[in-house]
Amino acid sequence: MDLFLQRIFDGLSNGATYALIAMALVMIFKATTLINFAQGEFAMFGGFIVLVLATEQGLPMWIAVIVGMLISAVLAAGIERTLIRPFDPADHLPLVIITLGLFLAINAIAGIVWRFDPRAFPELFPSGKAMSIAGATLSWYTVFTMITILVVAGGLTLLLNKTKVGLAFRAVSSNLESSELVGIKVGPTLQFGWAIAAAVGTLGVSVFVASPFRQLEPQVMVTGLIFAVSAAALGGLDSLGGAILGGLAIGLVQSIAVPYLGVPTELSLLAAVVVLLLVLLFKPSGLFGTPQVERV
Amino acid sequence: MASVQLTKGTRAYTIYKWAGVLALVLLVFVAAFAFNDTGKISVFDNDYKIGLTRITKAISFMVAILGLQVVAGFTGQLSLGQGFFFGTGAYLSAWLVADHSWPWFLTLVVVVPACFLLGLLFGVPALKIKGLYLALVTLGLAAVFPSLILLDVLEPYTAGAAGKIVDSDLIAPEWMPLDGIATGLQKIPLIGQYFGDGDLSSKQEQRIWTFFLMAVLAAVCFKMVSNLISSRPGRAIRAVRDNETSAAVNGMSLSYHKTMSFGVASALGGVGGMIYVAELGIASQGDFTQLLSILFIVGLVVGGVGTLSGAVIGGLVIAFIPEWASSTQNMPGVPDRWLQGPTGGLILGVGLIVLTFVLPGGIISGVRKLRAKIVQVLPAPIRVGESIAAKE
Repeated sequence: MDLFLQRIFDGLSNGATYALIAMALVMIFKATTLINFAQGEFAMFGGFIVLVLATEQGLPMWIAVIVGMLISAVLAAGIERTLIRPFDPADHLPLVIITLGLFLAINAIAGIVWRFDPRAFPELFPSGKAMSIAGATLSWYTVFTMITILVVAGGLTLLLNKTKVGLAFRAVSSNLESSELVGIKVGPTLQFGWAIAAAVGTLGVSVFVASPFRQLEPQVMVTGLIFAVSAAALGGLDSLGGAILGGLAIGLVQSIAVPYLGVPTELSLLAAVVVLLLVLLFKPSGLFGTPQVERV
Repeated sequence: MASVQLTKGTRAYTIYKWAGVLALVLLVFVAAFAFNDTGKISVFDNDYKIGLTRITKAISFMVAILGLQVVAGFTGQLSLGQGFFFGTGAYLSAWLVADHSWPWFLTLVVVVPACFLLGLLFGVPALKIKGLYLALVTLGLAAVFPSLILLDVLEPYTAGAAGKIVDSDLIAPEWMPLDGIATGLQKIPLIGQYFGDGDLSSKQEQRIWTFFLMAVLAAVCFKMVSNLISSRPGRAIRAVRDNETSAAVNGMSLSYHKTMSFGVASALGGVGGMIYVAELGIASQGDFTQLLSILFIVGLVVGGVGTLSGAVIGGLVIAFIPEWASSTQNMPGVPDRWLQGPTGGLILGVGLIVLTFVLPGGIISGVRKLRAKIVQVLPAPIRVGESIAAKE
């Protein structure tokens, strides 16, 4: 029982990161039905910015995270303006290829600048255990990752529902052409989506590597992206709330189903792929996504 | 205005076409003997090797990219998991050859159907809905492949982390006068020096022979795909790519054609893997990572999406650029730090982005534009009284 509970806690804290990256994917998918395959690399790069700010510039950790989120938002907005906006949002192939190019390039730049040896990340949350429940330890890390995703989800909900730019973003997500007709500047609105996504991703990686058991290195998000993609698909690719539940569910599958089924740990990635296949087979729109309707 | 105009169906056009084929065969022939193992270019004290083994590796990539051309180029469905099928083909044929003493080419009898069926298995759920779902599923497949190979259950067949070594070589039959040809080429004045010196060692003979066989196998694959594309199913998949709705309205089952084309692509990936391992002599799980699958996409785009010749260029690019990038150690004006590490990935990533902007049709479209300045091919004129339908 205690082991089971422990695995649930571990699964939740892993799942929190997948949820954050999945939310970043959803922010971009909602508006343009594009998957940003470089999202994980954006986040990894943001993580390195935070690390540099905290260790080399000596900023307090939380300030470093916030400044890092801002910097990555600005970078992503710049990338959107220069590399994404010139293309027709409805034609996916060139856009996907650009994101794959970004994937390769960002990964390589991080490898060249920071090298491939893993680096310890400064502590973001208090260490130690918050409490013991039936023999299982609930660490402060798990508690704070949960709080983080709730804060992010709350913040995004407010941003989308209570601000003007949020309203514009929702309009563009709902119908790109009509919102253009009523005078919404579609380009900057999508840019806003990219910036928010990058900021959330940076937070996601910071939380991920803040775990005492992990370190930051350029490959850290290569498989993380796949978990996040499965999470986003499970929750419904256009639902932010779905992304959170999907992320936590994938985290739980990874930490509960995998050991109990006797599958080797390396194959937890396969579990994510299987979940993705099952979702596509039985509920392609995901748990909370909008079913596709196409008019002829 | 083009300086030469050729009309399809005329004698001049036929000569032009066959001259192209002949030039290609000649190029393959010369490459086999000229770049045996010493070919290299030196720029700024950096040695860029061209050896024949690398060209054979490029051929294996060409066949895999050819598969991507079918599914992504002609059907419009992006697969990010060609490396999975490439690896599956490589391991399957390595296992059959090493443990069951099958001849290399016979393994295709197993590799092709196995990869085809695997493609269908993963293609069915991903391709019944519109969107980027095939890319999502295959992205995961490609990432999971290396850890699948390390599974304890498969260890006896895959040799785990050590890599599956196959020491069965393709040996040229006695009647092939490879040695004689080499000696003959060496005697040609002026260019003879580029064909090495003296008799071929058995290692060199075997390299040349492998290269020839694989070039022929690749040529067969290219011809088959070219026939497929211009046949009825080929027209169907192109219709699906160009407009799904109108293809469906015209009675084509979207998911059937997408899935079948993904199956064909996967089978070609398997063939590529077999070529790769036959040349290299070892299949190791570290070669078939997610990065390989993304490199295949790079090859597809750099060569030219939806063109067969693009696959040839793409294969060469991804076989040589990463290696040449890592052998670049001195470059005036560039700090050393930027020459170490994953420079190949940086060049390919930036190249991918730049090409999408300046030459969306890939290198091939640039070549075609240049060629159109010299030679212009006109369609055959329709004679009066003869309908187009009757011609087809």
